Amino acid sequence: MTDLAQAFTMNETSPAVADMDVRRDLRPMPKLKLSTHGLEFHYGRARALHDVQLDVAEKRVTALIGPSGCGKSTLLRVFNRIYALYPGQVARGEVLLDGMDILTPDYPLALLRSKVGMVFQKPVPFPMTIFENVAYGIRHHERLSKADMAVRVESALRQAALWDEVKDKLRQSALGLSGGQQQRLCIARAVALRPEVLLLDEPTSALDPISTSRIEQLIDELKRDFTIVIVTHNMQQAARVSDYTAFMYLGDLVEQDTTETIFSNPSKRQTEDYITGRFG
Amino acid sequence: MNAWHIAVRGAKNAVAQLLATLATAFGLFWLGWILWTTLHNGFASINLALFTQMTPPPGETGGLLNAFVGSALMSGLGVLIGAPIGVLAGTYLAEYGRGAWFGEVIRFVNDILLSAPSIVLGLFVYTLVVARVGHFSALAGSLSLALIVLPVVVRTTDEMLRLVPTQMREAALSLGVPQWKVTTQVLYRASLPGIVTGILLALARISGETAPLLFTALNNQYWTTDLSAPMANVPVVIFQYAMSPYDNWHSLAWAGAFFLTVFVLLVGLAARAIVSRHRMTHD
Amino acid sequence: MSVVTLPVPTRVAGDTADRGFRWLATGAALLVLVALVAAAGSMLWGGRAAFEKFGFGFLVSRTWDPVAHEFGALIPIYGTLVTALIAILIAVPVSFGIAMFLTEIAPKWMRGAIGAAVELLAAIPSIIYGMWGLFVLVPALAEHVYPWVDAHLGSWPLVGVLFSGPPLGLGMLTAGLVLAIMIIPFIASVMREVFLTVPGRLKESAYALGSTRWEVVWDVVLPYTRSAVVGGIFLGLGRALGETMAVTFVLGNSHDLTASLLMPGNSIAATIANEFTEADSPMYRSSLIALGFVLFLVTFVVLAAARLMLRRLARQEGNR
Repeated sequence: MTDLAQAFTMNETSPAVADMDVRRDLRPMPKLKLSTHGLEFHYGRARALHDVQLDVAEKRVTALIGPSGCGKSTLLRVFNRIYALYPGQVARGEVLLDGMDILTPDYPLALLRSKVGMVFQKPVPFPMTIFENVAYGIRHHERLSKADMAVRVESALRQAALWDEVKDKLRQSALGLSGGQQQRLCIARAVALRPEVLLLDEPTSALDPISTSRIEQLIDELKRDFTIVIVTHNMQQAARVSDYTAFMYLGDLVEQDTTETIFSNPSKRQTEDYITGRFG
Repeated sequence: MNAWHIAVRGAKNAVAQLLATLATAFGLFWLGWILWTTLHNGFASINLALFTQMTPPPGETGGLLNAFVGSALMSGLGVLIGAPIGVLAGTYLAEYGRGAWFGEVIRFVNDILLSAPSIVLGLFVYTLVVARVGHFSALAGSLSLALIVLPVVVRTTDEMLRLVPTQMREAALSLGVPQWKVTTQVLYRASLPGIVTGILLALARISGETAPLLFTALNNQYWTTDLSAPMANVPVVIFQYAMSPYDNWHSLAWAGAFFLTVFVLLVGLAARAIVSRHRMTHD
Repeated sequence: MSVVTLPVPTRVAGDTADRGFRWLATGAALLVLVALVAAAGSMLWGGRAAFEKFGFGFLVSRTWDPVAHEFGALIPIYGTLVTALIAILIAVPVSFGIAMFLTEIAPKWMRGAIGAAVELLAAIPSIIYGMWGLFVLVPALAEHVYPWVDAHLGSWPLVGVLFSGPPLGLGMLTAGLVLAIMIIPFIASVMREVFLTVPGRLKESAYALGSTRWEVVWDVVLPYTRSAVVGGIFLGLGRALGETMAVTFVLGNSHDLTASLLMPGNSIAATIANEFTEADSPMYRSSLIALGFVLFLVTFVVLAAARLMLRRLARQEGNR
């Protein structure tokens, strides 16, 4: 059984559990949205991920942490197969989304990407109006009337906590927004497709502290509707926003558990060393 | 380190700096002289007839209308043929050919084509088209101009597309949009100013090209818009008239040179303006 | 709601369009390759009659007799090489000076304007250079400079023969000068760009040790950018070899071989430009096309070498 499953099946009445400061919404055992089995990843001849077994709970925030080069971003990018853009990058093994393996060539990329959205480290608004940025992805998957599209765009912008700031300038270029606003626009763009999973790759590392905390607040709201996997090199951020944390080191998934456990009582020595700052 | 040594080094430095400044002045001197001559002599020959009459026989008055129109037509056609192919080839290099050996071969070939003598390209089109068909034509002329436009646009498109951050590509792809739409709807839009600049620079370059037209479009004393016939154009007219012994032809040649220079400089300025305005809104 | 169903192994429409677009782009790229190969091939083909008839002798024969159908490329080749050499000899030091001025000496506010002015030189069409050369430079040289050159340098031992002869104004020296002015902006801008890639800390440490500006350029910047500088020079050379209009106006178009640089000569491009439309026999045309092939070959080698050297620095930079 995976570490996570073990954590979940702990008997509620056992004294250990009763004494722990367990968050209420960890009971009953949440469904697994994503899980990987024996996942290997290669950049050409170099191996970046080795036999990774990750479980991601539905509608929770799972953080991937670890020192540079540990493979956390690589792992994240497997979930929407964005690596397929680059010849020479290969993933092997099994990655199940709602029980279906997304690594098989039969699973259409367009479908996968409508279910799994991604937000990148550097805010990259498209060279279009704010409205168009959000509508762009929707247009490709659905045919909506003008009115319906406007409603969709507004709802996405509200979900990204950006609506009030841009509602009067939807037809202006997105490039005029500040860094924090641009990143929230990218989040709106991703949630506009109504995906089931949101992948966040160091979403605040290029932003100032105020924008960072706004987005962290946002993540807390978003997890009501989406399963979130976030990569962060900032341990405090992981501790603040996530429900579960997975620690990675040199391509291996060393340990995964509830965030409480990882940060207060990790079972592996390596995890503890990283948390306490002995390396990384 | 003794004082003599330091003095020598100081002197060397002073001399070097002086020479460098003189070299710059040297370059600017020629620029000034050439521009002054062209503007001065050209201006003196300007009159309305330039735009209303055709190229005249020696000794008679006339204008350059057919040459202006011919140049506009052939340059336009050259860009129309060469630019789309150039953009597509540049797209290949930036999006599909990075690192691949075929991409490197194409880049190499493109660089050669870019700096190849234009007279060689004219001979090529002559052999390919004119010799086969049996007569000179404006279409052949446009083709040879397109061959000059092609590598310029390939290179600028390649460079501009490569400047677009990878993350923008990935962001669009992760929305489930297919690659070709990402390229045409997002990437082209992002690099449009740069690509347009490349096309403008190509236009400026072909406007002044004489050699390739000498064996393809040749020249035509009369008005024509028939692409299958020889067509008048500014550079060849200037060449023919300047090398002749007739004064009125000389002054027409100067007028043509004047407008050609002004046109090329204006297009160059427009290209620069696009680049700097784009840079201002994106930094 | 999105119309999505369970994943089925079907080819989605987007897939075909993706492949179609990729084919389009690849085809266009292929066209570039085809264009160059076809250009080379067509000239080889067009010149085959001349090559077959004259063989290698074509390259070293002085004859140029349209009546007897006897042609040799020596004079045009000689003229092309000599004018290009003169152009390089003048342009390289001047371009170096300009690059040094723009990167080390000029105050910041001046650099943009002067840089733009130098680029302007490159934008001027070559036919304008030709006209200016013929109507302005040639008379000026014929009246004021060449008589002096002939009188003073013409009498020197050895070198004198290069500078003797009637001061026509037209000739290889003039053509070399005009070519030099044309290629200066190319070489100067490559040099300047390349000088600017030298890491600031490298130059700063040299200055901190008390180096003069000249020493920094000569001992630090130049060695660092050496291969690209040579590449830029080769690029200028390639241009000079292939230039047609500027040279045609001022070279004099004579088919006589003379040692003096003040005398008219001929270049491959000028010969073709002047005589092609008047060529009245297949052998004549074939010889001219054969000349074109020779020019193509020479410029190809020079440009390939230039590219190699420019890429070497770029790769070196990428590894830092």
